[in-house]
Amino acid sequence: MLRLSGVGKQYGPPDRPTPVLRDISFSLADGTFCAVVGPSGSGKSTLMNIIGLLDRPTSGRVDLDGIAVDFASPETTARLRNQTLGFVFQAFHLLPRLTAWENVALPLLYRRTERRERRGRALDMLGQVGLADRADHRPGELSGGQKQRVALARALVGRPRLILADEPTGSLDSVTANEVMSLLSDLNRRLGLTIVMVTHDQALAARCDRRIEVLDGRIVLDTAAA
Amino acid sequence: MSTANLAISGVDPGEGVVEALGNLYAQRQRSLLALLGIMIGTASIIAMLTIGHMAQHETMRMYKHLGVDILQIHALPVTGPEGFLDRRTIVALPGADPDILAAAPLAVGRAGVAASGAAADLAVVTADPALPGLTGMRLAQGRFLGGIDEDSLATVVGAGAAAKLSTPGAPVVPGASVRIGQYVYGVVGVLAPMPYTAFDPTNFNDAVLIPLNGAGRFRASGQPDTVLMRLRPDADVKAAGERIAARLANPNSRMQVISARELIDGMNAQKAIHGRLLTAIGGISLLVGGIGVMNVMLMGVMERRREIGLRAAIGATPGDLRRMFLIEAAVLAFVGGVGGLALGLAAALLTARMSGWAFGAPLYVLILGPGMAALVGVAFGFYPAAKAARLDPIEALRAE
Repeated sequence: MLRLSGVGKQYGPPDRPTPVLRDISFSLADGTFCAVVGPSGSGKSTLMNIIGLLDRPTSGRVDLDGIAVDFASPETTARLRNQTLGFVFQAFHLLPRLTAWENVALPLLYRRTERRERRGRALDMLGQVGLADRADHRPGELSGGQKQRVALARALVGRPRLILADEPTGSLDSVTANEVMSLLSDLNRRLGLTIVMVTHDQALAARCDRRIEVLDGRIVLDTAAA
Repeated sequence: MSTANLAISGVDPGEGVVEALGNLYAQRQRSLLALLGIMIGTASIIAMLTIGHMAQHETMRMYKHLGVDILQIHALPVTGPEGFLDRRTIVALPGADPDILAAAPLAVGRAGVAASGAAADLAVVTADPALPGLTGMRLAQGRFLGGIDEDSLATVVGAGAAAKLSTPGAPVVPGASVRIGQYVYGVVGVLAPMPYTAFDPTNFNDAVLIPLNGAGRFRASGQPDTVLMRLRPDADVKAAGERIAARLANPNSRMQVISARELIDGMNAQKAIHGRLLTAIGGISLLVGGIGVMNVMLMGVMERRREIGLRAAIGATPGDLRRMFLIEAAVLAFVGGVGGLALGLAAALLTARMSGWAFGAPLYVLILGPGMAALVGVAFGFYPAAKAARLDPIEALRAE
């Protein structure tokens, strides 16, 4: 469903460029749970941003479901993010002013879904991550693990095809991290969701179907490429 | 291409307003401060429009009450203690000048006036039987002064004066006696309450009227100092005024000619100056208010970078983000506009109370005030909204 072909990214002036990614190519089949690992500064965050359509590659192309992404149009990438992708962040990024269900329903706001339906789908999603009884709580009243589950529900509410999780367990203790990881695995198996997860944790990476290791802007290991 | 996409992904405007209210409430202290400027600006413009509207009404009322063809000539002293006009010349005026339909000589003095139970310091008007026709006076009781009263001690009492002089059991009604200065007059009539317009030589409500022959008791010359005239509707008011002033001229007096038309013009000119002043204050306040809104919105954009980044990541287009902040700015300013409307109407009400005008606001200010404020909000919200829409989501999500 996702294919990167010769993707490169460089920062700085064109005459003295600082390359961050060089010639990245791989494709991801539907239903894969893929870990992206690599040390800080390896370029894995930039890679995630490009897969997440938040950043624009300087070379190469990204195909989603066989269609090349038009990075020149912010409206197009916004719509693709809204309808095809779901994001889970290390820092949760829940809006403190909104209740749990309102946070979950946020992506639907940008699809002109009516409030009643938004609420229904958000409550349903909260139920699936085991937080049905926390729907009207605000993020400040939730534990770290609960916050990340709310964020996961938000990523899932729009029925995306691809979940991008950037260090989803990085802010959690090991027990809670394990819970969240189990939830992700379960979603991957049960719903056939494609997941790309950045992690530092080799043990978590080992639980994934596929592992891509990035170093100095290149893929140095891809367990699926052999 | 972008318009089509915007239409698909756009957030419902009604929900946008609800969300904007929530966001503004979350930073209410800062929002309130920004509202002050907008409120003051809207209030002064609303007050200006409403006061102008009421003044217009007042002018119309005066037109209706007096007509525009009234001319007043007042003799100011030059050498002696008082200016005066020759009464016989005045009485002869309607026959002598074809432009004059009626003329009433009068003089206004002051004296202590006492009835059986109460006393007051009141205006004493020596009046001619023609006066009611030229001032719109009406009687509540009794009759007006007539030719037969010329040499008698008869008086007609104004409505307010009658109230001041009446005591329970001793009302000032026709048949009662009042002492005016050193003379005891018999009351023959009581006036109905009447509006005091800028054209009246004195407030007739707080006056007692006595025959012209009694002028000698209150004035050294024994002569009137004012004449009220009704001109033919097609008369040249300015020319007639100069001609009649020349006819009435005497070495002891300087003639002051006042026409109702000029008075109304003068009032309008004054009103225009006040209007311009209030508009200027309103405009400056709205400008300051708008800058306040911009400041609050810019701070909001800076503080909510993570929120903006998140919204962008989950699918908000730059258009959605721009619209979100524009709606917030408009709602903020609109709330200030509603506050300003209330404040402006309160100021107009106060003005009406102090001027004795009837309070009334034109309907369109109810819409115009808050609407104008919202427009200011949108105008000054453009820059912060554009800034929010331009934020790089990656940078924004990393913000602290």
